[in-house]
Amino acid sequence: MHIENINPLAAAKLSKKHILGIEGMPIPEITSLIERANYFAEKPKDTFSDILADHTVLNIFFENSTRTKVSFELAAKRLGASVVNISISGSSVKKGETLIDTATTLNAMQPDILVIRHHSSGAPLLLSQHVDAAVINAGDGRHEHPTQALLDALTIKRSLGRIAGLKIAICGDINNSRVARSNMYLLSALGADVRFVSPSTLVSPFFSDMGIPVYTNMEQGIAGCEIVMILRLQTERMEGKEAPSQHEYFQLFGLDSCKLQKAARNALIMHPGPMNRGVEIDSKIADDNNKSLIRTQVELGVATRMACLEAVAGVKL
Amino acid sequence: MLRSSGWGKTLNRTLLKNGRIICPSENLDIIGDLIIEKDKIAYVGKEQPQSNVADTIIECNGCIIMPGAIDMRVQSADPGTEHLESLSDLLSAAGNAGITQLVSLPATSPVVDSAVMIDSLRLRASGCKGALFHLYGAMTQALDNKNMAELGMMAKAGAVGFANSLKSVEDSLLMRRIMTYSKMLNKPVIHHCADPYLSNEADMNESETAIRLGLHGVPSIAETIILERDLNLVALTGCRYHAAHVSTASSVEALRRAKNKGLQVTADTSPAYFLLNDKAAGDYDTAFRLDPPLRDEKDRLAIIEAIKDGTIDVIASDHHPIEMDKKMLPFGQAASGAAGVETLLPLAFSLYFTSDMSLSKIINALSVAPAKAISLTIPRLAKGEQANITIINLSSSSVIRGANFISQSQITPFEHYLIDSKIVGCFVNGVSMTN
Repeated sequence: MHIENINPLAAAKLSKKHILGIEGMPIPEITSLIERANYFAEKPKDTFSDILADHTVLNIFFENSTRTKVSFELAAKRLGASVVNISISGSSVKKGETLIDTATTLNAMQPDILVIRHHSSGAPLLLSQHVDAAVINAGDGRHEHPTQALLDALTIKRSLGRIAGLKIAICGDINNSRVARSNMYLLSALGADVRFVSPSTLVSPFFSDMGIPVYTNMEQGIAGCEIVMILRLQTERMEGKEAPSQHEYFQLFGLDSCKLQKAARNALIMHPGPMNRGVEIDSKIADDNNKSLIRTQVELGVATRMACLEAVAGVKL
Repeated sequence: MLRSSGWGKTLNRTLLKNGRIICPSENLDIIGDLIIEKDKIAYVGKEQPQSNVADTIIECNGCIIMPGAIDMRVQSADPGTEHLESLSDLLSAAGNAGITQLVSLPATSPVVDSAVMIDSLRLRASGCKGALFHLYGAMTQALDNKNMAELGMMAKAGAVGFANSLKSVEDSLLMRRIMTYSKMLNKPVIHHCADPYLSNEADMNESETAIRLGLHGVPSIAETIILERDLNLVALTGCRYHAAHVSTASSVEALRRAKNKGLQVTADTSPAYFLLNDKAAGDYDTAFRLDPPLRDEKDRLAIIEAIKDGTIDVIASDHHPIEMDKKMLPFGQAASGAAGVETLLPLAFSLYFTSDMSLSKIINALSVAPAKAISLTIPRLAKGEQANITIINLSSSSVIRGANFISQSQITPFEHYLIDSKIVGCFVNGVSMTN
C-alpha cells in the first residue's frame, strides 16, 4: 500500500477541489489521505493547530448526525480553523429556501471549506457548483460517505497492517447505504476482496454486475472473511417492508457469535454507527474489545477528517 | 375387491393385483402388480404368477393405480371454524377420497403467518390419520396485504410456499419485495389474482346471466390484470410463481406467453372452472357462488385446452368450507366457496370421458405437477419409493351427494353431478386410508 511519492509529513495532494466521493478518486490520492490521517493519529492532538489557522469551516448538516458532525468540528478545531455549525432546525431551509439559494447566501460570507451532509443523493455536488469554497461530502443520501470509507480503511490498515488481499464482508442494508458504496469503491481499489451480504430485498442485483459478489446467506457471505462490517438498519424498514421484522432480521442476518464462527479466525468487526443492538449485531460482539473495531473507527474519524480538511484547503485551482 | 386386514392398520405386504399402473414420472403405463411392503413400494411390474407374495391382496382389475394424489389448494377451517371441519376430519376425508397429501392455505383464524402457527399445526396434523399435511405461510402479516410476514422463519419451520387470501396483493412494491424475498428463500409464491377495484362488490362473472339476475359482475380481465402484473414481476425478480385457480381464457393466454419466455411459472385450476360455467348460477343457487366466480363457456373451454397443453399444470380442489348460514342468504350476501377434497379426483377424471384427455395427463396434473410446483418429493411408482398410492375405478357411475361426505363441510356446486369413477384405495406411507 505504500506508494512512491507519498509523504505523510505533508498534506495529501488532490487533483480536484472537492471531496464529493470515492468513486473515481485516483488511488495515490486515497492512499496519501490515509497515510496523512495515520500520521495525524500518531501525534499529540494539539500539534497541528496552525495548519488551518486562517480558515473558516462551515459544517452544514441537513440531516441529523452526532458523531460525524462532532468529528468534523474537532478535526477543524485541531487544525486551528474557525468552525461554524449549521443544523437543519436552525436553517432557512425550513422557511422554503432552495439548496442553491442557501449556497449563494453562504458563499457571500466567504467560507473556505463547506462540510455538508444532506438527505438527497447528489446535494454536495449541486452545492459545489454554486460556491467558491471547497466542499467535503459528509454523507449524501444513499450515495457516498467518503470520509467514513477513508477512516474505515485507516482502521483496517492499522489493525491488520494491510488492506490488499483481505476478504471483507459488508453486511446489511446495502441498497440504502452510502457507507457501503464508498467502501465498495475504496476497499476494492486498494485490493481487498469485498462482498455484500444482505437480504435480497436490501441489495440490488446490479451490484453483482458492478463486480461485487452478493450473498443472501449470512453464513456463506462472511465465510473466511477477516473483516465483517455491519451496517446500520433503519428499523422502520423492517416492519413488514424490506424485511418482515427485526426478529427475523436478527435471526437471519444479525451478527451473533454463532454466525461469526464462519468468518476467519480472529475476524474483526466494524460498524459505522449508530448501532441497533439486537437487530444487526449482538451486544456481546459489539462490546468485545478483542473483536470489535467500532471504537477505533470513531477515534480515527477525527484524524481522517483532519487529513481531508487539510487537503482541500491546500488545493489551488 | 378389497381384502385388506382393516382400516388404518399397517400392512406388511399388500399386493395390488392386476391393475393398470400409470406413473407419469416413470413414463409407465402397464397392466401389472404393485407390492407395498411396510411404508415402501417393494415391486412394480408385470403380474406376479404366485399369489402368496403378500398377506393382503387387492384385486385391481379395471382400476387405475396412480401415484398418490396431491391437493395443493385446500383451505382448512381449523383453527377458527373447526366445528365446520376439524383438521383431523379434513385429513381423514382427503385420505378416503384418494388424496395422499394436501397443502393448506393460511386464511385460518388466527392466520398462519408465523413459525409458531406452522409448528403447531404440523404437530397436530402428525397425530391425525389421513393425508399428509403441508402448509403455506401467509405472504403478509395477518393477511393484511400491507406488511410482509416472517417468511424466513416460516420457511425454516417447513412452509412449502407463501400464499395470500382471496384478496390480491394490490401494492406492486410489496409484491416485488415478497417475490424477491421468497426467491432468496427458494420458495414459491402462490397468488390469487383479482384486481381489487374491478372485483369490488362483485357477485359473479360479468355476463348476460349477471345482467338478467341483477347481480354485480366482475369482468374476467380482473384476474388477468393482476396476473400480468405478477408475471412482469416474476421476470424482474426471478421468483418461482404459481397462479392459483386460474379461471379465464385471457389468463391462460398470459400464462402461455410467460411459459414460452421461460419464466418459472406454474398454475392450477379446479374442477368448477372446467366443468361449470356462469349459467349454473342462473337461479341464485349460492352453492355456485365461488371465488373466482364461474366464468363464461369460452373460458371453461380455454381452461380445458390449457390443462391439455400443460399451460395449466395442476388440478386442485380449492376446498373451502363455508358455514351453511353463510350460504342461506341472498346470492349477493352469501359467502364464496365450497367443499372440494372429496370430489376432486372423480371430477378431474371426468375430463377423460368428456374432453378426451389422456389418463396420464390427468394423473400428472393431480400428482407429479403439484409436487413440482411446490418442491415436494416427486411421486413415483417404483421400487423403494414411499408407498403413497391412489387406486381409482373408472367404471363406477354414481351421483355426488354432499350429505354423503365424511366432512361436515358438505356444500358443493356438484350436488347431483354424475361421475364415472370411484376411489377404491388410497395408501399414505403404506397405510390404507379408505373405508
